[in-house]
Amino acid sequence: MPEPDRQFFVSPVHAKGMPFCDAVLVNGTLYTSGSIGWDYDAKRLPENFADEARQVMKNLGVVLRHSGHDYPDVVKVMAFISDMSLFEEWNRVYREFFPQEPFPARSTVAVAGLALGARLEVEMIAVKRE
Amino acid sequence: MNKPFLVLSLLTLPFLATAQRKAINLQQPSAARPLSDAILVGDTLYLSGKLGHDAKGDVPATFEEEARNALEGQRAVLKAAGFDFADVVKVTVFVTDLKNFADWNKVYSEFFKVDPPARSTVQVAALVRGGHVEVEMIAVKSGKPHMAPVSGK
Repeated sequence: MPEPDRQFFVSPVHAKGMPFCDAVLVNGTLYTSGSIGWDYDAKRLPENFADEARQVMKNLGVVLRHSGHDYPDVVKVMAFISDMSLFEEWNRVYREFFPQEPFPARSTVAVAGLALGARLEVEMIAVKRE
Repeated sequence: MNKPFLVLSLLTLPFLATAQRKAINLQQPSAARPLSDAILVGDTLYLSGKLGHDAKGDVPATFEEEARNALEGQRAVLKAAGFDFADVVKVTVFVTDLKNFADWNKVYSEFFKVDPPARSTVQVAALVRGGHVEVEMIAVKSGKPHMAPVSGK
């Protein structure tokens, strides 16, 4: 059998039964699925938005580390929020996880709806630092 | 370019081709804008979404102007990284109203006259600072001429 050129990761914060993995590593580039702020201990979305955003980033931290990466390896972030009025708070929480330059490239748009009534979904592209 | 520098460049080339990264910033990141205009990693450039606000930060009077500003903005980011529109491989466009789709395509075609890259356009509920269009791109430096598009099945 030829050596596989890609890896599919199913992390400890995988949404069970969902037809997607949490990240794919191919040619040195990691693509994560969109993560929402599901709290796997409390089994719910956090009540306030800041906690939800924090949980999104923590969940992605689990996905990144599970695949041998970490936040500083992230090169591109795509954020979907449910309401543009949450943008400033999103930025504030985001900086807790990306406190300094170089910041990844990032786009944030407000969408019509997110799964399970989430207010934020984030996907990332990462390339391991040398 | 003098010879020692050329040799040095060639020696460092293999390292550049791996995961070396560089932030491209025409606008300095801030608390309200915690992002880089683009990240160059290896030979791939990931550009942040670009809005089409004017120099004063206002939304232009017409959609066309706004679209043109967004694309000119990305042109500047590409240029700062040593790239140009010919290096762009994938574009994602977010508009707040698809009634502007025809206008968007008209302006976009001025920037990608031949062999336009892969592209998706979707309508979203809202964009930052009341924008009507946002454009993000992925570009890969090739340094080689384009191949003609392959048509048919």
